Amino acid sequence: MTENKNQPIITVKDLSIFYKTFRAVKNVDLEIFENKITAIIGPSGCGKSTVLRSFNRMNDFIPGASIQGNILFHDKNIYDEDVDPVQVRRMIGMVFQKPNPFPKSIYENIAWGAKMNGFSGNMDDLVEKTLQDAALWDEVKDELNKNALSLSGGQQQRLCIARALAVKPEIILMDEPCSALDPIATLKIEDLMRELSHNYSIIIVTHNMQQAARASDMTAFFTMDEDRAGVMVEYGLTTQIFTNPKNKQTEDYITGRFG
Amino acid sequence: MPRDTLDRQINNIKDEVLILGNMIEQATLLSVDTLKNRDIRAAHELIEDDQLINDKRFAIENAVLILIATQQPIAHDLRILTAILEVSTELERMGDYAKGICKITIKMGESDIPIPIRDLVKMAELAVTMLHKGLSAFVNENLHLAQSIPLEDDNVDALYHKVYRHVVEVITANPATFDEAHLLLWVAHNLERLADRVTNICERTVFIATGEMMEMDSTDDEDQED
Amino acid sequence: MNKNNSIFESRAQGNLKKRHRVSKIWRSSFFLSTTIGIFSLVILLFSIINQAFGYVIVENNVDPASLSSMPLQSLEREELISILQENVSKNRFKTIQRDNPVEELKRSELVGLVTSEIIKPTTLKSYFLIPSLTNKAEIIRTQQDEFPNAVVQFRSWISPSFLTDPLSTNPDTTGIRTALLGSLWIIVVTVIIAFPIGIGAAIYLEEYSSNNWLSRIIKTNIDNLAGIPSIVYGLLGLAIFVRGLNLITSGAFIGIDQSNGRTILSAALTMSLLILPLIIINAQEAIRAVPSSLRQASYGLGATRLQTIWYHVLPAAMPGILTGTILAVSRAIGETAPLILVGASSFINKDPSGLFSNFTVLPIQIYNWTTRPQAEFRNVAAASILVLLIVLLTLNTAAILLRNHFSKNKAA
Repeated sequence: MTENKNQPIITVKDLSIFYKTFRAVKNVDLEIFENKITAIIGPSGCGKSTVLRSFNRMNDFIPGASIQGNILFHDKNIYDEDVDPVQVRRMIGMVFQKPNPFPKSIYENIAWGAKMNGFSGNMDDLVEKTLQDAALWDEVKDELNKNALSLSGGQQQRLCIARALAVKPEIILMDEPCSALDPIATLKIEDLMRELSHNYSIIIVTHNMQQAARASDMTAFFTMDEDRAGVMVEYGLTTQIFTNPKNKQTEDYITGRFG
Repeated sequence: MPRDTLDRQINNIKDEVLILGNMIEQATLLSVDTLKNRDIRAAHELIEDDQLINDKRFAIENAVLILIATQQPIAHDLRILTAILEVSTELERMGDYAKGICKITIKMGESDIPIPIRDLVKMAELAVTMLHKGLSAFVNENLHLAQSIPLEDDNVDALYHKVYRHVVEVITANPATFDEAHLLLWVAHNLERLADRVTNICERTVFIATGEMMEMDSTDDEDQED
Repeated sequence: MNKNNSIFESRAQGNLKKRHRVSKIWRSSFFLSTTIGIFSLVILLFSIINQAFGYVIVENNVDPASLSSMPLQSLEREELISILQENVSKNRFKTIQRDNPVEELKRSELVGLVTSEIIKPTTLKSYFLIPSLTNKAEIIRTQQDEFPNAVVQFRSWISPSFLTDPLSTNPDTTGIRTALLGSLWIIVVTVIIAFPIGIGAAIYLEEYSSNNWLSRIIKTNIDNLAGIPSIVYGLLGLAIFVRGLNLITSGAFIGIDQSNGRTILSAALTMSLLILPLIIINAQEAIRAVPSSLRQASYGLGATRLQTIWYHVLPAAMPGILTGTILAVSRAIGETAPLILVGASSFINKDPSGLFSNFTVLPIQIYNWTTRPQAEFRNVAAASILVLLIVLLTLNTAAILLRNHFSKNKAA
């Protein structure tokens, strides 16, 4: 990681994403800053998840999906021919909408990704460290061999975060990570995100505007244009977006007067 | 519109602010009237009525708090509500000024008024007009009007200086009238402060409309506690 | 309370009673369907069991009491051998010696030999279980009137010796070892062939192939293959495996030339063809049912496609795949028609010993027995059906245990 906190770690240049012939996202320019929490908000269907998934090439699995433009990660376009998407996904981890731990023990959930990526150190230490980083260690340290699915939803989601941390990514993408959780579990995840932002850059897609306001440093507002393509309307400091947005559409959306 | 409830409730609160403003306007004009008419009983009644103003202000604050807690307003909505909190405080203070004038009426008792009362009445009228316009600009979020009102403060200030000079002249000519003259200076001062506070309301209006906090120039000094 | 009741009464909808009545009628008809199903099953089981047990009137060629003062079962091996030598002709004894040297036989086998060679019990008349239980006096009277030299015995047609004896033309002494081993051989080889191929195909179709017209045609065709009559597979097996690939299926390519192409291998290959569509379809369903969130979690950690399939998709799909395999095996074990075509012998008493042996299977044997004129063969057939059912249940139980083992990992 570089020392300069204001240097963009991801630079999106004129990004358009297509599903077959339908243009789902149109001409997005965006800079994601290191060790910041960047929230992407917007109405359903505005392409915010699509954009998020393009950052670690999860869209590759959708038949017919293609992109135009560049997504530079450390100045290297991750869609270049010579870039292996598997490598991209290791460096840019992801946490999903529904907690999706593997149906294995808590320990194995953490260890599997690390082992698969060739981790050779002390696995017990790694498991303890990542669980501590994910603020889950105290709750599960006595039952590491228990099936991960026996945890509560919030714990499962923190386990998924820990699992992502275990492969040592630089960026963590979160796709509505709290939409399946209760408010208390949600706040715990938000606190955790704040802690993690000291060492990681986090990009979170959320439907919950209060969450974006509470938890993020930067906010990007997406909406649909008349072709139903997702466009980025406004991007700025969260404090500015939520107190005094420059764009009328942003204002309408965040004050709940959209549509 | 998905936020009809919030919009309706904000409008209700704005109406309440207008009602509170109206109460202040009445109280201010009447307080100067009590002085002019040497009506001590009316002054006592007005002082008691100040309680209504305070109650109204708390009711507004409470309504704003409930809205913030239940509707999670942000951006423009949040600016309106915080501005209303601020404005209601300002209005309550203005009510205190009117109350102060009534107390002076009582203190003055039957003594002569050594300076022309019409200047004070004029000041009160100017200040109340400013307040009326200011609140109108506030509830309608009329940026243009809000920016023009502080200029009128200069007229009030001019009158204040006129009263001030009168008082100085009167005291110099007849030091025995010091108490009365000094009290009347306080009346002028209260009215001048009231007009200044209208400027604050206008600042809030600009804040609601633009999101920018900015000090509005008035030729007078900055606020002081009284 | 009263007030509430009156509110409900005053606002009761006019057709509510009717709706309740209709739902009651439907509930009864669903219950009736279930009852009919269970009843049919019970009738089936009952009729089989009814035939597999019952009294028989047996006449012995030689009275066992005349051979020895003690029951045969309690005699020593040497005594049994001497009884054998004394009571059969020299030539017959030589033949017996050649087939099974008596010195190497166990005592129970010697008892069997003495019974079949000397005592030669003949079943004159057999009764089903129900008449045996309700009408014993009548049976005994029949025996006394018609067969004064015979005795009445209660016989379970299914017995350990029935399982272990080879086929014979005598319903009293026949066993089903050959057919049972044939069935087991074919099932095992079939599963070994079809299971990996089926899963492999399902993985390719679900995880790798793109959704274009070609793959859609393939998928549709696999679905249709599952519905093709099994006799068609028999014809296919006959043409391809028995005739076309004779060199391989007969074992000639590794120097075994004692058989033609009508071997266990041919049968197993044919059966594999038959159950492959079933396994593929079920495995596809199971793989499709694995939540995509699991795959995404794996990909999100930087796993390759193979790692994702191997470590997450397959374990999660395994219970479903095994269920499909259970169904397929159940079908295969009862199949008769294609095996007749690829050459299951209806009478063979040489045990299958490998992939290139000739064979017969339980269903064919059962069919064969039911066509015989002697009434006793029907009892034997019923006993064989029970054996077939038990084999089926055993295989299914094993598969269910395996499946539970896999799904336990998933359970919360």
